[in-house]
Amino acid sequence: MQTIFTLFFLTSLLSLLLYKKPILAQKIGFGLASLISLYAAIFFFSNLENTLVWRLPGNFISSPLFRLDSLGMFFSFLVSLIAFAVSLFSFDYAMFYEKKANLAVFASLFNAFILSMLLVIASDNVFSFMLLWEIMTLISAFLILVNDGEGAGRNVMIYLGIAQIGAFCLMVALLIMASIAGGFEFSAFDELNMGFGMSLTLFVLLLIGFGSKAGMFPFHVWLPLAYCQSPSNASALMSGVMIKVALFAFIKFALLLPQLVQFGYILLFVGALSCIFGIIYSLVSNDYKASIAYSSCENVGIIFLGLGGAFYGIGTNSPMIALLGFIAAFFHILNHAVFKSLLFMLSGNVFTATKTRNMDALGGLHKKMPITSIIFFVTALSICALPPLNGFASEWVIYKTMVMGGIEEGAASRFFFSLAIIALSITGAMAIMAFSKVYGSIFLGIARDTKSVEEAKEVSFIQLLPLGLLASLCVGIGIFMNNIVDMLSKIVLTLIPQTSVSADRLISMPIIIMVMFLCAILPFVFLYLLKANNKEVRVTEPWACGFLYNKSMQIGSNSFTGDIRNALSFILKHEQEIKIDGYFSKAVYKHKTHDLFWDKLYAPIIHSVMVIADKIGIFQNGRTNLYAGYILIYLCLVLIIGYYFL
Amino acid sequence: MDFFYLLLQLVSAILVAPLFDGISRKLRAKFQSRIGPSIFQTYYDIYKLLKRGRTKSYSTSYIYQISPYLLFVSAAVMFCALPITYSTDSVALSQFSDIFVLLYFGALFRFIFIVAGFDTANPFAGVSASREGTIGFYTEEVAVICLIVVMMGTGSSNLPFITALVQDGDYGYAIPSFSIASTAFLWVMYVETGRKPYDLAEAEQELQEGVLGEFCGKDFAIIDIAILLKQMTVLGFFLVIFMPWAGLVDNPILSLIIFLAEIGFLYVMGVFIDNFGPRFTINKGMKRTMLFALAISCTSLALYIMGI
Repeated sequence: MQTIFTLFFLTSLLSLLLYKKPILAQKIGFGLASLISLYAAIFFFSNLENTLVWRLPGNFISSPLFRLDSLGMFFSFLVSLIAFAVSLFSFDYAMFYEKKANLAVFASLFNAFILSMLLVIASDNVFSFMLLWEIMTLISAFLILVNDGEGAGRNVMIYLGIAQIGAFCLMVALLIMASIAGGFEFSAFDELNMGFGMSLTLFVLLLIGFGSKAGMFPFHVWLPLAYCQSPSNASALMSGVMIKVALFAFIKFALLLPQLVQFGYILLFVGALSCIFGIIYSLVSNDYKASIAYSSCENVGIIFLGLGGAFYGIGTNSPMIALLGFIAAFFHILNHAVFKSLLFMLSGNVFTATKTRNMDALGGLHKKMPITSIIFFVTALSICALPPLNGFASEWVIYKTMVMGGIEEGAASRFFFSLAIIALSITGAMAIMAFSKVYGSIFLGIARDTKSVEEAKEVSFIQLLPLGLLASLCVGIGIFMNNIVDMLSKIVLTLIPQTSVSADRLISMPIIIMVMFLCAILPFVFLYLLKANNKEVRVTEPWACGFLYNKSMQIGSNSFTGDIRNALSFILKHEQEIKIDGYFSKAVYKHKTHDLFWDKLYAPIIHSVMVIADKIGIFQNGRTNLYAGYILIYLCLVLIIGYYFL
Repeated sequence: MDFFYLLLQLVSAILVAPLFDGISRKLRAKFQSRIGPSIFQTYYDIYKLLKRGRTKSYSTSYIYQISPYLLFVSAAVMFCALPITYSTDSVALSQFSDIFVLLYFGALFRFIFIVAGFDTANPFAGVSASREGTIGFYTEEVAVICLIVVMMGTGSSNLPFITALVQDGDYGYAIPSFSIASTAFLWVMYVETGRKPYDLAEAEQELQEGVLGEFCGKDFAIIDIAILLKQMTVLGFFLVIFMPWAGLVDNPILSLIIFLAEIGFLYVMGVFIDNFGPRFTINKGMKRTMLFALAISCTSLALYIMGI
């Protein structure tokens, strides 16, 4: 464990030291990172059932303890697995940012980011945890800034602002927990005695703290801004694994509190809202990267649904639901890490080839980038939870948990679990639309804006290799679903010890695939028996009902969602502007969808803070005698307070 | 042996589906004072399509080539997931037949439909792809709310298990939430068959079948069968949960025949709604009619939550 940490640290230093030779540093930095993370992934996976402890040696202010148990091992494995794919991908991809930033710094930050995530997972002490947590945030902010450009500063400030709200809540929660436990090491947090109100307050603080980092609703506003701004490999790491680190920490700390049923309800409710709002915004955005970013919010919601089931199970002492809930959540965490990082990397491929993020300008990219397109197709299928891929496998387990939870007596549990299933199903229906739209309008049809697509070409082999590996993982995890569930149940059993497993009535993916093959043979038999016409296909223009075909007749990503935007107009505010002068001149059509929560919640707060800051500014006016006056007033106040109240 | 019966179930459905379509076309013609085509017309159509040559638009890619087969596979797997010739005894198939497997293969069908629409670059195909997604958005939640009542009531999402419970009378119409859910569910399944007032298969090109505008020859024939099969499946989905009496017969072949006859009956009866119902534009139609179905399904869910 310490070897891996040291290696990442050294690689980070090495690539920083080579800053005079950025290209060399980039190759060394990302190349070594992929090798180390491959080793790390194998190491963490083989130690999945062990517990490792390591104390930082040397004469620092404190010597913090690092500890990895089964759960930590699983998340460390996840981080290193995705880091392996992403750093291999960056080996060529990072060259795209050659002119924008010093690649040596980029590579160094990248390594440091992986290291900081691994350390956060391993950290076992309140102070080192908070310090590393902030370092992780800071490094990710720097990574976003690699792609400097218009609005970059604002996007990063919003990201950091929300991260600070979260960190504040975390700090409060952890300090209260530490004071109750009487020690700063998490291993000492075992038996926390507190009342109902305290426990609930701490839970909510933890939820805000980690949820804001995970992109939970209503803290999701930073997702599209930060992910669209950052280079694709950084957003792949952030969305693929950084939000999983937040979820890991949330599970770890929330389990230390005295368990209440309400935890489950809160998570189910927040999860349902995150799902629905995440997917709605994902569906209506015309920027493919924003669409993918919003879908992170949706998937975090789905994970929260699983966790809600788990916490409900613990709170009501029904071990079976708790077990299934945790398995479902971890399974979806694994799957989301795989397909979301894959999607961001693919979007990076598309962006480097076409230099545009607007789906209404793209189209027909399949002919230029066939392999990227096919991998994108598989990934889109798996993020839509379509069988027989991995997304379906984990969503099925989540559905199973929800159904198990809803059987219980009591209106509250029935209500929340039904709500969860409804949210999940609406999300499913909209995810189909969202990702078929993303795939269809980027890769299929005819290029809407010829300029951007004309020069596109397929990326290099080394950039495609990790994508292919992850895509085959999507298929593999789906097929071997039951084995994964077994593996995860071993991890979960270390969290809730007094439980026994009896996994029953799971679906069997191999049988589903067998039936699919059986069905796939039929049409060919049918065509053979009836001697179908097999003549070569004649190529024509698309049929435009007798009119001359023009490529602008195609449906765009904006018009595709028109009906649904109208139907949802009560929660989706959008402005449209249509200008037509004359029959023969071109019509102008502008359209913008607003994020309701940005407009109603964040914008007023930011505005009022600005106003207050403006007013406070009057005090700072540069006159020395006034400043002396402030000090005098302050001293008098302290004296009065000290005399009367202390 | 299970798989043999499964294949039989699928093949016989494919063979009789065009007949039901033919009968309903004839009946519709009678209502409209026309003579109408022969009841075997759909068979002739498919046969004729098989013999025709094909064209495709220059925009198409591999999606265009594989989509007929993918559509067929997803519709066929959906039909196979209905426990007609098998029951809980079959160890292998009861691990496959599940409500969510059925729903998500339906979603796969929709996904392929939309992507194929984009691939042809045909304006009508695009509009109809959008329509298909929107209809999915409207119907899915009503269907799922009804299914929640059933799944939570029986404690499982496994179809053979639910069917067996309803057949034995351990769970069924004596429970108010179940019987109310059945109404809304039948309604939604009718919408899913893609007929008026929600859709009109053979009408304007921008309606649901617009995607098919670019397909021809054998590809079109395969898609045609897939769509017929999907229509059978959604009606069968209602039957296996809410009226699984065909399964009471021990002989799988006999119960298959009864089951297909039931589906055929529902399919042909759909003409009564189809022919006399008004036509709306999609948003108006959906809002006007689906809200009612949504209200019914919510009532049944509320009853379940209250424990009635």
